[in-house]
Amino acid sequence: MPLIWPALIVTILLVVLPVLYTIWLSLSDRKIDGSNSGFVGLANFQTMFAEPEFWNSIRVTLFLFVLCLVVETVGGLALGYLLSIDVPGRAIFQGLMLIPAITASVAVALVWLLIYDPTLGAANQLLEAIGIDPVVWLGSREMAPWSIAIVDIWQWTPFMALIIAAGIRSLPSEPFEAAVIDGAGSIKKALFVGLPLLYPVLTVAMLLRTVDLVRFFDTVYIMTQGGPVNATNTLNVYGYTAAFIDQDPSYAAALQLSLFFLVIIVAGAFTWLRGKQSNAE
Amino acid sequence: MPSRSAVKQKRRKIALVYVGYVVAALIFFVPVLFMLWSAFRRNIDITGSIFDFTTPLTLSNFVNLFERFDFVYYIRNSFIIAGGSTLLGLILGVPAAYVVVRRKLAGLGFFTLLARMAPGVMFVVPLFVLSIAVGAPSNDALNFLLLIAAHLIITLPLCIWLLVPFFEEIPRSLEEAAMIDGCSVWQRFVQVVLPLVAPGLSVAITLSFIFSWNYFLFALALANADTMPLPVIAFNFIGQGAGDYGGLMAASTLISLPALILAIVAQRWLIRGLTGGAVK
Repeated sequence: MPLIWPALIVTILLVVLPVLYTIWLSLSDRKIDGSNSGFVGLANFQTMFAEPEFWNSIRVTLFLFVLCLVVETVGGLALGYLLSIDVPGRAIFQGLMLIPAITASVAVALVWLLIYDPTLGAANQLLEAIGIDPVVWLGSREMAPWSIAIVDIWQWTPFMALIIAAGIRSLPSEPFEAAVIDGAGSIKKALFVGLPLLYPVLTVAMLLRTVDLVRFFDTVYIMTQGGPVNATNTLNVYGYTAAFIDQDPSYAAALQLSLFFLVIIVAGAFTWLRGKQSNAE
Repeated sequence: MPSRSAVKQKRRKIALVYVGYVVAALIFFVPVLFMLWSAFRRNIDITGSIFDFTTPLTLSNFVNLFERFDFVYYIRNSFIIAGGSTLLGLILGVPAAYVVVRRKLAGLGFFTLLARMAPGVMFVVPLFVLSIAVGAPSNDALNFLLLIAAHLIITLPLCIWLLVPFFEEIPRSLEEAAMIDGCSVWQRFVQVVLPLVAPGLSVAITLSFIFSWNYFLFALALANADTMPLPVIAFNFIGQGAGDYGGLMAASTLISLPALILAIVAQRWLIRGLTGGAVK
């Protein structure tokens, strides 16, 4: 079919070739000046595995991934339930809840920079109003990853909720009626009837978030650039700075490929668990 | 007729839902309002109390952006990049989505999944090398072309994803009828199929535009001083205008404007687009 060739060619040029080139970069030694001393085998990967910062960035990435995914899923379930109930004004509220997810991450990061400002920020002013000492949100190693996580949770929990709400609204009502006849209360109904039925939608939502969370970049790069002292240096930010700040494209390629593998492994594990679960039912 | 206590219980439930709405809005919407409000406050007030709602509102932050930093120029850049990549995404994606549906191709789905899962950084280094090889950093027209091509990585899979369900809804018999009437493949596509997916096209256009408009990474690495779109100039602002939170919030507001408008007018489609069609 001739109609598909343009798209296919462009996809190969824009997606497949860069991936192949990155693989070549990771196996060779490209210098800052653009010269390449050729094939070096797995040397870049050996350097990477020996580099403590690589393991730190994996740790930071997984920390943010697990923390954000858990909170966003639990929060998304609660908010999603709220969004699934038919009351006047529901559509307007749903529109409001969409806003964090579609606002440009640059704008989100800038607003939160102002909120987190150590002296005049809204966060510390709120804490002060209820008598809590100010917090160094982005400037301390201990706090920065949590502060970054809060931004992501803020931006994406409503998005999870919207997917979950759509899932809840399309659930059949018979199993719930049957549960009522069997004498189940509302909490039992939600936990033992609703949640299992919601499982397919829930895993799709979690998978979508997973792919993005493992590739955590925008808000971190804008708010902390991976700092302070690499406390928020996710693998994606590390892969970017290695290429464009440290100007070591071959080492960066090794990092980026590891990130790609990490995304595939986590997403694959997810899909596998999902398949296993639905087979078990 | 429902009993009185049932009505009462229903009312209580609705009231509870609204309480939940207020709590959720405080958490998830107030930061957006805070951005909008700060964009219209003087810097001296922004650095003051957040509880002081009596401070005067001003347009000076915006005036500053346009007069001192020529924001019209960067808005234009954003339009060129987002508009160009949306247009190209449609030109390539519409026929592709049609073929994917008619021929039941899964292979292209794999490529678009690859584009969705691969970290953007992986595309940036090869594009950067290409950019230097063709002299794009010093040539604005080439630089724009490169940025549009880079953003195609976002818009093309999105267009295909969004359009596939629309094409699936067109009955095959309709096309077969056109075939019997002697229409060629191309005529069938343009005269019969395209008009039927018009609603899908408007969805694909708006979402591609927003996603491309918002995208940060490619332009961060590839744009030069003349081709910078809004997100990059706003990011560069952090260092330059240290302490000018009013300017930063005005810039954020300008960047967010298309998305804010869309959240109001096209929320259903946005949900479909954000979830890659997982939720219809």
